[in-house]
Amino acid sequence: MKTVIVTYKTILRNKRLTTILSIILCILVFAGLSIAGFTISEKGLRTDLEERNLSPDACHIFGTDWLGRDMLTRIVKGLNLSLKIGLIAAGISTMIAVMLGLCSALFGGMVDFVIIWMIDLFMSLPHLVFLVLISFAAGGGAKGVVIGVAVTHWPALARVIRAEVLQLMNTEYIQIASKLGQSNTGIMTHHLLPHIVPQFLVGMILLFPHAILHEAGLSFIGMGLSPHTPAIGIILSESMRHLSTGYWWLAVIPGACLLFMVKLFDILGENIRDWVNPKILRG
Amino acid sequence: MRVEIKKDAGRVGTCPHRLKKVVSMQKNNRTDHLKIMIFMSVIIITLSPLLAPGSEKPDALLSVPPHALIVATGSINPEGFDPTQGWGRYGNPLFQSTLLRRDEHMAIVPDLAETYTLSSDGLCWHIRIRKDALFTDGTKVTARDVAFTCNQAAKSAGKTDMSLLDTAVATSDHDLSIYLKHAASTFIFKLTTLGIVPEHAYGEDYARNPMGSGPYRLVKWDEGQQLIVEANPLYYGNKPMITRIVFMEMNEQTAFAAAKAGRVHLVRVPQALAIQKIKGMKRHIAKSVDNRGLCFPVLPSGQKNTSTGLMVGNSVTADLSIRKAINYVVDRQALVAGILEGFGSPCQAPATGLPWDEEGARIQDGDLNTARKILKQDGWQDEDQDGVLSKNGLKAMFTIYYPADDSIRQALAIAVSDRIREIGIQADVIGKSWDDIYKLMHANVVLFGFGSLDPLEIYRLYRSSSTTDDVYNAGCYQNPVVDQYLDQALYATSEKEAISFWKKAQWDGQTGFTAKGDAAWCWLVNLDHTYFADERLVMGELPIEPHENGMNITATILSWKWIDDQTTSR
Repeated sequence: MKTVIVTYKTILRNKRLTTILSIILCILVFAGLSIAGFTISEKGLRTDLEERNLSPDACHIFGTDWLGRDMLTRIVKGLNLSLKIGLIAAGISTMIAVMLGLCSALFGGMVDFVIIWMIDLFMSLPHLVFLVLISFAAGGGAKGVVIGVAVTHWPALARVIRAEVLQLMNTEYIQIASKLGQSNTGIMTHHLLPHIVPQFLVGMILLFPHAILHEAGLSFIGMGLSPHTPAIGIILSESMRHLSTGYWWLAVIPGACLLFMVKLFDILGENIRDWVNPKILRG
Repeated sequence: MRVEIKKDAGRVGTCPHRLKKVVSMQKNNRTDHLKIMIFMSVIIITLSPLLAPGSEKPDALLSVPPHALIVATGSINPEGFDPTQGWGRYGNPLFQSTLLRRDEHMAIVPDLAETYTLSSDGLCWHIRIRKDALFTDGTKVTARDVAFTCNQAAKSAGKTDMSLLDTAVATSDHDLSIYLKHAASTFIFKLTTLGIVPEHAYGEDYARNPMGSGPYRLVKWDEGQQLIVEANPLYYGNKPMITRIVFMEMNEQTAFAAAKAGRVHLVRVPQALAIQKIKGMKRHIAKSVDNRGLCFPVLPSGQKNTSTGLMVGNSVTADLSIRKAINYVVDRQALVAGILEGFGSPCQAPATGLPWDEEGARIQDGDLNTARKILKQDGWQDEDQDGVLSKNGLKAMFTIYYPADDSIRQALAIAVSDRIREIGIQADVIGKSWDDIYKLMHANVVLFGFGSLDPLEIYRLYRSSSTTDDVYNAGCYQNPVVDQYLDQALYATSEKEAISFWKKAQWDGQTGFTAKGDAAWCWLVNLDHTYFADERLVMGELPIEPHENGMNITATILSWKWIDDQTTSR
């Protein structure tokens, strides 16, 4: 009979275990946040002019805003909206990146030239300005924000994937497959995609913080969403008006929550990268 | 990290074990320092607004007595300063003088005019103007200039509405006759706002280089930044005691910050910020008729405006009981206390507080039971128990639009929406730009704001002929009885007679446009305009102000003075 005693220290020393644990933890937090977003009562979003501008207390742990709306409800709803928009935008962005990266590496020549040129073009433009332009052109609103974030975040990942595929194309087994008469699409689906999936996953998760921050940024400057929507950027820009009055909780708490969520995604992305790429763990 | 340590150690030389450790510790320390510094700077940046010292006055900027009065305003009329194009349509054009004006008790007194008479049929005004008035270039103001101004304003069809004018003719240097298309009791209010322009110096660029006979003249205008004016030495009236004014164009936030830093003498602040205190400044409150209310489409939905192609009508708000119930259930006092921080007053009709306001049209608001009763009697029921009423398959749902950049209107819209949900009416709230709202306003509820010292506004808000595509009667309200009263009020030849008809249009005992009658709107609040002014500035009592326009506050500017003036003159 063997007894395995796992102490705190051994967990910490075991990098693989900590990686998996932090991944699980992050996912749990996000799951909890989404569930909270769905289940939390809409009542907190209602105005209650008697209860306005209350500092955090037992009844409203994050305080209330200038219309008496519960800040906890607004922040949870806001983070959920960010999560949703971030998910869609990062998903689309990653798809674009994978497709363009694959095409660029596989077809080479003119296609490669055009795609590289596009990547350079997108990367050379100031990010936020570009975002504002695109989401404005796309008609604003949640749709505008999603489109804006989606079509501006793919270049870096596309370049990584292109490099990865180019490297793979030069490996012997793929050259052999090619010599044996497998078609380009066959090689793509059978040999390349399995290698790309981890990149895809990690790329998407690491895009998330960008997408969320830019969503918050866009709603902060008033692009798109209706100004009473509980979105984190809107909540923050609203709080600006009340900072000088001393209602600190309107700015500090949502800001900290946004920071916390973005950092969590960052941790999640890093850990998943370590997890799918064992070389780093061993190193 | 490990690779780097090796490299460092290699540089040191033979790499004894201890040295390696020291190097790695230094490295760690360095990153720790960096982390701490980043952390600290984040904290400092986050907390800086809270830690910032209240208000330190850069005294050099504000010498005693100040060289110029610095006023923070919103954006100044981007069309420029041409009275025939709308400049000064709320009164007090600053650079030009008007034929008549309102004194501090709101009574109408002659200004540029010496005498004025109205013919008994109400169609012709005879006006004699004063002989000592000069434009800033030294030429005399003649009756021809006045006639030219009136005709020009009627021709240009800008924001200055002179559609009532038939023609204006100068009969001598100092006499003129103004002929109207029909008698109009409100025309006298036009004469208090229309600034007189010089015929000889009027041209394309007049709006940028205004010249007039008003108390001030333009020194410099950097559009979007600042407007500098100084007292007009040729002005015929009492010389203003504030000889130089700088208007800085800023948004509310910047203006408030500038006031706190002591960089402006006078600033208008949003009501929510008016509860604060600013060192060295005093709060001034001006009552206003600047109102906010919900405009209901009163026609059933599914129609289209033939000329503009816009959708017209909304079946839910076309139902009288819905409009009435909303008027009864809204708690206007709570809105004033909660959203305006007490700087405002409840409002049930567009002219609350003015002589032509009908007080008999008031209802007791904040009344859940009456509202429920009204809906129940009309057959509105919650059939499927989802909290939203319905009648004949029509759900009591609509959308309230508000201009997205206006925080007060946003708050009012949300608060009303939450309130009427309690009686089973669901109103979604959406913020949009004005351009979008103008396309939606005939088929949706919109949170509008009006407020004029001229009762003509009531006519435009409720007269059915103005339903084509203008902003005033966006809900396409029409009631033949109200129309008749409004016409009678407009065509009346005496003000007293006119007032009685303005009142009857609101509520005559049977019908009217207010909540007791057709409830065409749900008016909510009249705002107070809140200002902070330098303690040394004596402004006297502020008059009732019209709809916000950035220059409201200058209405009484001729009587302002610095306290220091008093002491030095003694």
